[in-house]
Parts: sequence; C-alpha cells; structure tokens
Amino acid sequence: MRRWLMSLGVGTALLLPAIWCWSEDAIAPSNPTGSPDSKSVNFERDVQPILVSRCQTCHGRETQKAGLRLDRREAAVAELKSGERAIVAGNPDESELLRRVASTDADERMPPKGEPLSAAQVETLRRWIVSGAEWPDHWAYRPLRKPEPPRFASPDDEAWCRTPIDRFVLTKLREHGLTPSAPAEKRILLRRTFFDLTGLPPTPEDVAAFLADGSPDAFERVVDRLLASPRYGERWARHWMDVVHFAETHGHDQDRPRDHAWPYRDYLIRSFNDGKPYARFVAEQIAGDILHPNDAWATAATGFLAAGPWDESSLRDIRDDTLDREIARSLDRDDIVTSVVSTFASTTVHCARCHDHKFDPITQQDYFALQAVFAATDKGNRAVDFDPQAAARRRQLTEWKSGLAGRQTSRDPSLLDAALQAEVAAWGQATKESATQWQTLDPVEFKAAEGSTLTKQLDGSLLASGQRPEKDTYTIVARTELPNITAVRLEVLTDDSLPMKGPGRQDNGNLHLNEFVVKQAPGGDVAAAKPVAIESASADFNQEAWTIAHAIDGNAGTAWGVFPKVGQPHRAVFRLKEPIRRGDEAHATLVIELQQTHGRGHLIGRPKLSITSASNPAESDTLPTAIVDILKLAPADRTEAQRIELTVFYLGQKWDRELASLPKPQLVYSGSNQFQPDGGFKPSPKPRPIHVLKRGDVRNPLEPATPGTVSCLPDLANRFTIDNADDEGARRVALAKWMTDPRNGLTWRSIVNRVWHYHFGRGLVDTPNDFGLMGSPPSHPELLDWLAVTLQEQGGSLKQLHRLIVTSAVYQQSSGNADFRFPNAELKDSNDSTSIRQSEIGNRQSTDSDNRFLWRMNRQRLDAESIRDAVLQVSGKLDLKMAGPSVRQFNMSPGIHVTPNVDYLNFNVDDVSNHRRSVYRFLFRSLPDPLMDSLDCPDGSQLTPVRSASVTALQALALLNDKLIVRQSEHIAERIVREQPDPTRQVPHLYRLVLGREPSPAEADAVGAYVALHGLANGCRVLLNSNEFVFVD
Amino acid sequence: MLNTIDTRRDFLGQTGGGLGGLALAWLVGQEDVRADAPALAPRTDFNGGLHHPAKVKRVVQLFMNGGVSQMDTFDYKPELIKRHGEKVDFGITAAATSTPGSLMKSPFEWKQHGQTGRWVTSVLPHMATIVDDLAFLMAMASKTNVHGPGSYMQNTGFTLPGFPAMGAWISYGLGRLTDNLPAFVVLPDARGLPYNQLGNFSSGFLPMAHQAVVMKPNAPIPVPNLHPPVSAKQITPESERDGLDLLGKLNREHLEKHPGDSRLEARIASYELAAKMQVSAPELLDLSRETEATHQAYGLDKPQTSDFGKNCLIARRMLERGVRFVQVWSGMGGPSGNWDNHTDIPKELPFIAGSADQPIAALVKDLKQRGMFEDTLIVWTTEFGRMPFTQGSTGRDHNGGTFVTWLAGAGIKAGSIHGQSDDFGYQTAEGTTYCYDLHATILHLLGIDHQRLTFRHNGIDRRLTDVHGHVVREILA
Repeated sequence: MRRWLMSLGVGTALLLPAIWCWSEDAIAPSNPTGSPDSKSVNFERDVQPILVSRCQTCHGRETQKAGLRLDRREAAVAELKSGERAIVAGNPDESELLRRVASTDADERMPPKGEPLSAAQVETLRRWIVSGAEWPDHWAYRPLRKPEPPRFASPDDEAWCRTPIDRFVLTKLREHGLTPSAPAEKRILLRRTFFDLTGLPPTPEDVAAFLADGSPDAFERVVDRLLASPRYGERWARHWMDVVHFAETHGHDQDRPRDHAWPYRDYLIRSFNDGKPYARFVAEQIAGDILHPNDAWATAATGFLAAGPWDESSLRDIRDDTLDREIARSLDRDDIVTSVVSTFASTTVHCARCHDHKFDPITQQDYFALQAVFAATDKGNRAVDFDPQAAARRRQLTEWKSGLAGRQTSRDPSLLDAALQAEVAAWGQATKESATQWQTLDPVEFKAAEGSTLTKQLDGSLLASGQRPEKDTYTIVARTELPNITAVRLEVLTDDSLPMKGPGRQDNGNLHLNEFVVKQAPGGDVAAAKPVAIESASADFNQEAWTIAHAIDGNAGTAWGVFPKVGQPHRAVFRLKEPIRRGDEAHATLVIELQQTHGRGHLIGRPKLSITSASNPAESDTLPTAIVDILKLAPADRTEAQRIELTVFYLGQKWDRELASLPKPQLVYSGSNQFQPDGGFKPSPKPRPIHVLKRGDVRNPLEPATPGTVSCLPDLANRFTIDNADDEGARRVALAKWMTDPRNGLTWRSIVNRVWHYHFGRGLVDTPNDFGLMGSPPSHPELLDWLAVTLQEQGGSLKQLHRLIVTSAVYQQSSGNADFRFPNAELKDSNDSTSIRQSEIGNRQSTDSDNRFLWRMNRQRLDAESIRDAVLQVSGKLDLKMAGPSVRQFNMSPGIHVTPNVDYLNFNVDDVSNHRRSVYRFLFRSLPDPLMDSLDCPDGSQLTPVRSASVTALQALALLNDKLIVRQSEHIAERIVREQPDPTRQVPHLYRLVLGREPSPAEADAVGAYVALHGLANGCRVLLNSNEFVFVD
Repeated sequence: MLNTIDTRRDFLGQTGGGLGGLALAWLVGQEDVRADAPALAPRTDFNGGLHHPAKVKRVVQLFMNGGVSQMDTFDYKPELIKRHGEKVDFGITAAATSTPGSLMKSPFEWKQHGQTGRWVTSVLPHMATIVDDLAFLMAMASKTNVHGPGSYMQNTGFTLPGFPAMGAWISYGLGRLTDNLPAFVVLPDARGLPYNQLGNFSSGFLPMAHQAVVMKPNAPIPVPNLHPPVSAKQITPESERDGLDLLGKLNREHLEKHPGDSRLEARIASYELAAKMQVSAPELLDLSRETEATHQAYGLDKPQTSDFGKNCLIARRMLERGVRFVQVWSGMGGPSGNWDNHTDIPKELPFIAGSADQPIAALVKDLKQRGMFEDTLIVWTTEFGRMPFTQGSTGRDHNGGTFVTWLAGAGIKAGSIHGQSDDFGYQTAEGTTYCYDLHATILHLLGIDHQRLTFRHNGIDRRLTDVHGHVVREILA
C-alpha cells in the first residue's frame, strides 16, 4: 500500500506534476526492513509488519490454517499438529516458518500467494529467531513509564541539547550515524513559530523586534507571548476540528445548516486558550453535560459527539418503521463511537463492527460495548444557559417542577402551608371571576371546503359527519353584540359518533388544527373580511411537539394536536392583539376559519366557539376540567386532596410562567438525549437496547451488548458497572473515566503524538489515528512515552508541551537538506569541509531521506486557513473579533428542498464577514468553499487526523484568481502606498509584509520592473502565489 | 486515434522525466513490507492498465438522479400487467415514505426492439433504437431505499459521506491521459446539483488532486477561478503573461536556494499546467465548430433536451480530449426535476425521460460512429428503482430491491443481459448485482483489480468496493 502510494507520488511527480501530491498520511517510516541495519532486529519495527501483512490473514486470530497462529508468541512457538514448530527461539534451523518462507518449492513456499518474501525479509526473520524471537507486548498497550533522557559522552552533543526531547532525538540520530542541522536563521524561526502557534505570520514589526533582541531568552519570550495570545486557541482549535470532523451542515442528501454547532467551536478555542487540563478536555467532550451540569461550556463540549454528518432523510423523514431507519441509527452510532475512540485513543475500533478486528486485540463485543455507551445519544439542538444566573434559576424551577408529582403523592404538608394556601385561594378567586364571561358564538353560516358535513347542535357546536376527507377547512360566520372582543375560545368536544369519541375524526381520535384564523367582516360583508392579528394562544393540553402555538404560526406544515388525550374535550384560547370593536354597527361579524389541511383525516369532530371581553381572559379558560371542578367548590368544601391538587397545579403554572420569562437559552448542537423532538426524530429517554450484530447487520442481532470499551489495556476494566441501566449519562461518564485514567497509555500517547504531528508536520507515530498493528510504530518510542508521562506530570497542560517542543534544538533546526551542523568551527572552516558536507548529505539521503529521525526541520506547506488569514493580515483587513455564530462567506437562498443554494462566486468580496479568521467560517459539508477546498481544507465528512498538502493546477488557479486573493492584493497595494508613498521603497515594503524579509537587489529590480508596468496589486498577487509565501521553512 | 498520452510511462519517455534526482531518491528511498502493494505505475504493455491489460481507457457515466422506475422503462413484467390493481402483501408495512398501495402496471406501451428483442416502453423511444449495443444488468440492488445514502453508494460504494467517488479512484489508480484537462469531470444537471450536492464527486480521503472538477456549461462561469474576476481591471493579458513569468523566475530562484524538495518543483509545474488548462477548457466548451447535424442529433435545438444534450456533447468532446472519467447527470436534488416520481408516473416520468433519452442515444451512436467504442465505456445508472405498487394514486416509492443499469462500448458484450427481477419487479430474482460488482467490472475493464486498488485511511485499507465485488463476466466481450 505505501509503496503504491509512493509510486504514485513518483509517477505523478515525475510525469504529471499537476496532480502530484505530498500526503503526509502516505509516508512510510524510513524503515529499512528489507536491508537489515547493523543494529539488532526490532520486533515491532522489522518483524511484526512482515507477520501482519504476509502471514496473519491465514495464521491469525480469525483463521489458523494448519493450527498455526502468528499473532502472539505463545501460539507461534507452540507445537503444531504436524509435530513441528513454526518458531523455535534461538534455533533457525528448527523453525519451520523460516524453512517455508525461504523455500523455492512452489508447493511449500509461504505465503502461497503473491510475491515471495524478499531475501532481506527472510534474513530479518532469521536474525530475529536467532536472537531469541523476542515478542514484546504491543507498544501502544504497554503501561506508560518515563524513560531517563540519555546523556552523551561528547560535550558537543551535550551542548546541542536544549531540552530532554533533544536527548532522545540525538540518540537516534547518532544510532544511525546522522548529524543534526544547523539552527534556522532567526527570521525563519520566527515565521515558523508564529504560523505554528497562532496560524498567522509575524508582522514586519515583530520581525524587526526579534532580530534586534539579542538577549538569550528572546525566543522563549516570543513563545510565551504567542501561547498567551488568543490567536493560539484559534489555531489549535482548528486542528482539533479536523480530527473530530467538525462541520456545520448534516452532510447528506439533505444538507441542512446547523445554526447552533458553533458553540462547540468556541468551546475548543476557549479550552485551548485557557490551558484546560487535557483529561478534563477529554472528559467534557464525552460527558461534560453530566460531569459539570452547572457549566454550560461543558455541555457545549459534547458538540464533539455531534460533530459528524447526520442522515436527515433516513433519521427524520422516512417512516420510522423502516429498516432504513434502523440501519441509519446504527451507522450514526458508529460515527460517534469511531470519533470517540479514534480521536482520544487512536484505536481503530470501527474495524470490529462486522467482525473481530483482523489485527488488533479488539472483539466485536468490545465494539458493541462502545455502541451501548452511546445507546441513547443522538445529535440534536439542546438548550443551554450561558448566563449563570438564568441557568441557576432555570435549574431550580425545573427541579421544583419535577418534584411536584412526588409531593402530591406523598401529600407533602408544606403544600398546605397557610401563606401558600392564601396565594392559591386568591388566584382561584380571580380565575373563577374571569371564567364566567364567555359567550357562545352562534354560527349563522358554516361550511366545510372538502366535503365534511357540519350540523349545528343545540349547544351551538357543529358536529362533523359523513364523508371524512383527508383535509378540510371549516369556515364559520357568526355575529355578536359584544362591543369589544379580546379573545376567541375554541372547544373541541367529544361525541359518541366520533372515533374514540373524538374530539378528532382520525381513527385514533386525534385532530390537527394547523391554522386558526379570525377575520372581521366590516358591515357584515363576509367577502371583505380581514384577518385580525392573534397575539398568543394557549390550550388545556398540547400533544408533544404539536402545541397550540403551531395553530397561529402561519405554517401549514405544523399543527395543534391532542394525542394521546383523546376521548375527552379540549379547549384553546386565542388572545387578540387588538380587541375587535363593533363600533357603530349593531353587530360585529366574525369569520372564523379552522384550517385542518395537515392530512390523513385529522379533522375536528365537534367544534364550538365562544368569545369574551375580559381583559385577561386566557388562563381562566384553559384549565383542565378537574381543576375547574375544584374551583367550583367553595374553599372550605374542598378536601385536602383537592387542595393539594389545586396547589400543585397552581405552582406548576406559576413556575412555567417564570421559566418562560427567563432569558432565552442558547441552543447547542450536541450529542445527548436532551433535545426537542423534530418531526419523526425523537430523543430516546433511556438507552436503546444494543445487540452485537452478526456481520454488523441490524437484521441479525446476537447477544445483548453491555456498556464497556476495548479490552486491550490489561490494567483497566473493559466493561462498566452501571448502577442504573436506564441512566444514559452514567455510561458516558464511565467511558470518560476510562479514557482519562492515567493508566490509559493510549490516551496520553495519542495526544502528545498529535501535538508533535502539528509541530513537525508528522507524528512520532505517523498514523495518528491508528496505534494498532497496522499503524506505524513510533520512530522514537522512548520519547513518545517520556512526553506522555511528562504531560501527565504537568497537569495535562498542552501549553507546557508546546513550550517544551518549540524550545527544543530539534524544532529550531534549519529545514534545508544541506544545512549540516558542524560540531565545531575549526571543522567548518577546514579544507575538508566540502567533502565532509558531501559525505554527510549522502548519508542523510541513503539512511533517512525522508527525515524520519529529524536531522532537520520539515518544510511544510501552509494550510488553507493560514494562507487565507495571512493574506488578510498582510492587507490589514483581518478582523480579530472572536466567538459567536459562524460567518457565512457565501450568499444563501432557499433551495428547492432542504439543502439551500450556496453561492460563493457572487458573494460580496468586501463583506466584512470575509475578514474574520478562517476558523470562524461557516463550514458547509457538501458545498465547501472552492478556495479552501483547493488548499486541502477538509469538508468534515471524515475524520482527518492528517491533512494532505496537494499541489494541483486547480489550486494554482484558485490562488491566482479567487476573488478574495485578487481583492486582498488590491488592499495590500493600497496599504503599501499609504504607508510608503515613495515608489522606490514600495517593493521592499511589499517583501517585508508578505515574506517578512528584505528583497535582494535582483528581486527588487525584477519585481520593481513588473510593478512599474502592471501596478502594485499585480505584484502583490505574484508574491502571494510564490513558493516562499506558501511554504514555511 | 486520439491525440492523448496513453500512459504516464509514455509521457516519461517523451519528456525524459521532470524532476530532480533527489526528489526521486526522496520518494523511492522507502521500503515497504506489504507485498500486496500494487505495481509501480500503470503498465504500457497493459495498454495503460494497472494490474492487467485494459480494454477501456476512458469512461462516461450517465447518472439518472432520483431512482429510475425500472418497470416503466426496461423491466417488462407481464405479471404486473395481469394483476394490475391487486393488493399484494409484500411483507412490509411501509415503503420509504408511504404505505404500500396496489399493484400498478406501467401506463406506457411496451414493445420489443432490435435484433435482441429487448423490451422498452414508449417513454424511451431513442434508447430503444440502440438496445443491441447495450448490455443490461437487470437485477441491480441497493442496500438502501433513501436517496442520499443510495447516491453515495452508487458513486462511492458506501452509504456515508466522505468516501472517494469512482472517478477519483480511477484518477488515483491510472492518472491522467492529458495534461490539459483534469482526469475526472462532472457535468451536473443544468437545473442544479444532485442529492448530496458535491459529496457525490468528492475525492474523500484520497488526495485532493483526484477530486472531480465540476463544470457547468450553462452557468455564467462554467469553471470557478479559471480566469481572474472581470472586476479586477488591473489584470490584463499582458500583466498575466508577465506575472506568470515573474512568478516562475522567483520560484526557480527560490528552488535553487532550497534544493531537493520536489513539492517546490511540482508547484512551479502546476502554474504551467494551469495556463494550459486556461486555454483548453474554453475550447472544450465551445460547441460552435460542431456541425448543425450534431447539434440536432443531441437535441440542442429543442428546449426539453438542449441542456442535457449540451452536456452529453461536451462529454464526448472531453473524452476525445483525454478526460479519463466524465459523469453526466440527469436530474437535480429535491422533490422534482429528476427521476424521483413519487406522485404521478404518467406525467412526471415522460418529462424527465424525454429530456435525456435522445441525447443519450445520440452520444452512444456518436461514440460508436467515431470509433470510440474501441476504448470508451458508457455506463447508464441510477441510485435505485421504484416499487411495483402505487404511492398515492399513480406514483411509485423508492425501491432498492431491484433496478436496471446498462453498459456499452469497449469490452462489453453488446446485446447481452444479466440477472432478472421477480415477477413484479419488486426484488431481484437471480443474477443480483450491487454497485460493488458494477464498480469492480468498470475497474476491471480499465485494467485494475478492484481488490488491489487500496488507500489506507483511519486504520483501514479502503477500496471502492469495500469488502465486496465480483466482475460481471457475463456481460463482457
């Protein structure tokens, strides 16, 4: 595979450079397996890859042909059925494996398919067996320990080391006969560090100040300053967004924008800037809502669980009794499980969805144990109070409310407290008084548009009968002498003739009132009737998600319903914004429309209308019948149970009102079961049953899965003890604890490797999401462990880790191929220096041409965000405003269906939202920004532990012609003219701004001549396209 | 026949290689123990194939977005006609979006066509004239009945976003046939993007270089960023010419000071290629040199067919100019303007079919007449089929159970047929094929073993065909 990719690299690089690509994902460790070095054979580096790729398909955990298993030592050295042993430690001649892989007989040779092992590979196996066939536990599952940083005999080597990191790296270099590179020039180091820590270049002033600062700690002070800058959090949050595949639309067919995904992005920026301890950072993203319920940001953290795509068609729109719905649910949970375990533990647990992991010790049971952790987790908008006072009050009121039922059952004496009873009595009296003022409307005309038959009843109600159309609209005309009308009441009554006795005509007794319209007809002219504004509506009962507010929202797609409380009458009161006044006329004529166009026969069976002049009419008449009955009794006649019932009702209403008056909570798109149902998409109040699925197929459930995790860490329990099986939060908390346990080497190695990856362009393990057998072994295992333990010791502070890394000598090396560091000045100036240099360069190329051992710094192409932000900073347009909803740098209009039309081309390039940092861009999954896309910005469809850095003709075209780049070139030109009116000094100023240096005389001439002919803006555009700008040395 | 570069190795021969030796050393200095790693590059003696000799060098895929009703086009079901109106229990309470209705025969007239006597309804009169050139897969199946996942599956082999499209895999495996144009181009329906928008054409986790270039010939700007914005008055042809010269000079000087980094060289070359593309793309889209007869054959003279016909004609021009994989879409996303005929088959289907039928037949005939059947593959696909029973009164709901795909051109046994659905066209009955098999077959014809074209992502060696796929040899010549 790797060779294949490299070969493509070669092919394309040599032949068709336009599609040449340098994917860091693709680079194999410089792993001279084929050519054993003079050092001892390393099992993980040299032997295991051969066993995994060439032997284990037939001799592994799944299949054991001839009874042979080559995935663990005790099995590999055991006696086989044939009486032979594949491996006899220390004795190559007795080892059947060696005989078979070296055999020239096609019937005997192993592996039977494909090319035979190379001679070098056979030799590697032989030497491994000779040396005792050592088979250590896999590096990633071993307990963490902190190795002692090596010391050097040579004072020169000692002098080179600035940090313990350097000691580990230099040891490896020396092992391979390599020499570090000279330190980078100060100017280059500064640009490198600025982009690395903040994603922005240094300003010309920053450069000048640093060059002028000769103090020994000048660089350390710059590092501290950058780590303290809010720009740091913005930069590193963006890396994290790659890892967790964050974007702000659903990403499927119905690519609906997520208006409330951004709080998670702000959470990330805050966390990095605040120096949040890594363990807490991890735990919050898995279960922050449970662990820190009073910290709204900890709930925002669970935006992590919802970062990935979501299949709205399958999870919301199609019928929920379809197989497609169930498959989609399982796959959505897979997205969550994969994200959690890949992100924090760098483990490919998702390989075990359909079968046990082929290479790593992960079973299908482990995988589904993780699905069970998220058995109630869905992606949805959840309300959170970022205002702590409102949060506290809302929490208190909600708690009180939820305690009411219990207090009623236990007849809590405090409910009968005298002061409270007085309050209830006063309310009851007021309510009773206002309840008497309804006047029934007598329908003088009435019709049903779609064929229902309406018959007027004695009580003024209309009974529907006959044909039951899918949809209907009842129009009722009535007159009244009341001088002013403040509200209209709709009663939906029961009748024996209705299904389930009504009040609806649907088979289940339900109804859907999608719109309630009141019109006034001036002079009784019904045709000229005009709608009257309705201020608010309330009902005695609302079906979940089908509230009475839907009947006045002007949206025919939403409606009021009463299921499951059918078989009983219900009432709704509609308060008018301005009273209807009769004026001089004898009657006011009202036209009332009951629009029931939602479909499937959800029609009102027996409506009755009445009106009132009461100034505050609503509450009084939407009380449940039971409460109305109690109120009818004189207070003294009420039993204790009735008084308690009344009090409970009163308190519930009172607290609801207060809740409604609190500042509106912020919605956060996150993973939980605490969200409002949305059409056919509903939260699961308790964990759904999860089964191990045969071949991952929901149609083939096996045994039930219990919450747990992978079992490859011997020190940690892999199944969780959960006291209450219905407590979904407890499951996530258990996983968060497992993940952040100091003994969990996966987690701590994973994060230090990620951080290293972003600093150097490549991790110590260059498969940051795969620490398994198929991933790459670490280039510097001791350093990896040392960093992991050091991070723990430093309280999980990533800022300390950054500081340690960037102040190391390794990091500060030159990125050139030939910037050889001479151990001493005499040698450098000696006659031999040229030949020493040549031989050193040759050695680097032959031993470690891709710099696995870090004999130099890696040159990196700037990522999309850094290019965009740097251009804006250079032009002076960069807006450093932080936080808040994402900026949409496109025109958006409603699409034909759910996905909107998104137009980047015609977006106003000078719109101020274009000037925000790229991390605040709204990220549209299936319609990404063309400029950012061409520069390899991921679209959030897949986890992106490593970004590729491609070079394509389309990227060249985008950097040349994208409106933003062209416009900012003009702004840069304007800035230069403003700051430097003297034309002869403008090109040097341009160089300082864009490249952070002075031009050479030749450059000044060439660019000067071009600018003289074609203007400064064109000159700026050329420099923004230059390799020097796009790469960081 | 065509003036394109057959393989990258040929190109190497012609140009003598491009980049410095250090870049080569840097790249080939790797060793890899995975012996299943494919060969180094497509082989000349394989006719440009990667693992075995190729029959096909270029592919055009015609994607009918929305789910073509198989029993109203190519899948003739006498039983359905006989039992029209009957209520049959298929053991499901719900189709994707509705409650199953009663059996509905096609409202269109069936006739047999060509030497092969292939059944086609009256909604596809032009395709009916080319049936002898086509090989039919009559029992395609999908794992899903939902558009988004279904489209992803047909395009990428997975029901989820973020996987590379077939065109991206082919670009990754075989590279390009020409310098002047991208390897993978998509022409969406002029009315709008399909379900999943650009997600269907993504390079997924493959390098960005393999992503489709989306061209919209009817849009004011067919390819974004091909040229500078007209608003930038300071940019003139002269400033462009001199600017690219200056950029090249600065980049080469920079390279001299930073030797041995092939990425720097590649970026220099990328600007040279960009300039070539700026010339080639407008020429490609300029149909004025095509004859009047060609315009008429593709239906450019009629409003109903002109948009799709134009895309088909441009597709042919792309194939001629060496674009490796062209995908032409009929139908946009959303509830209408596509093949997703939930409400009224008698009215909705003839409209969308009428917009695509003539241009498709014209393209097939044109390619054949130009001799391009020698090395060009044509694939006609959709994401799933429709139900034999009604939705509402005369619509049909989604059905992944069975649907029809056809192929034509190089390596295909003209007039062959494979698989069949059950008596109602509800499920496949025999010879079931999935997108995996279709993709495996297409790759096979291109000289690629679908099991060996892999890319490692997030711990898994990913393939276009996941862990499935068999070459459908029954339809191969």
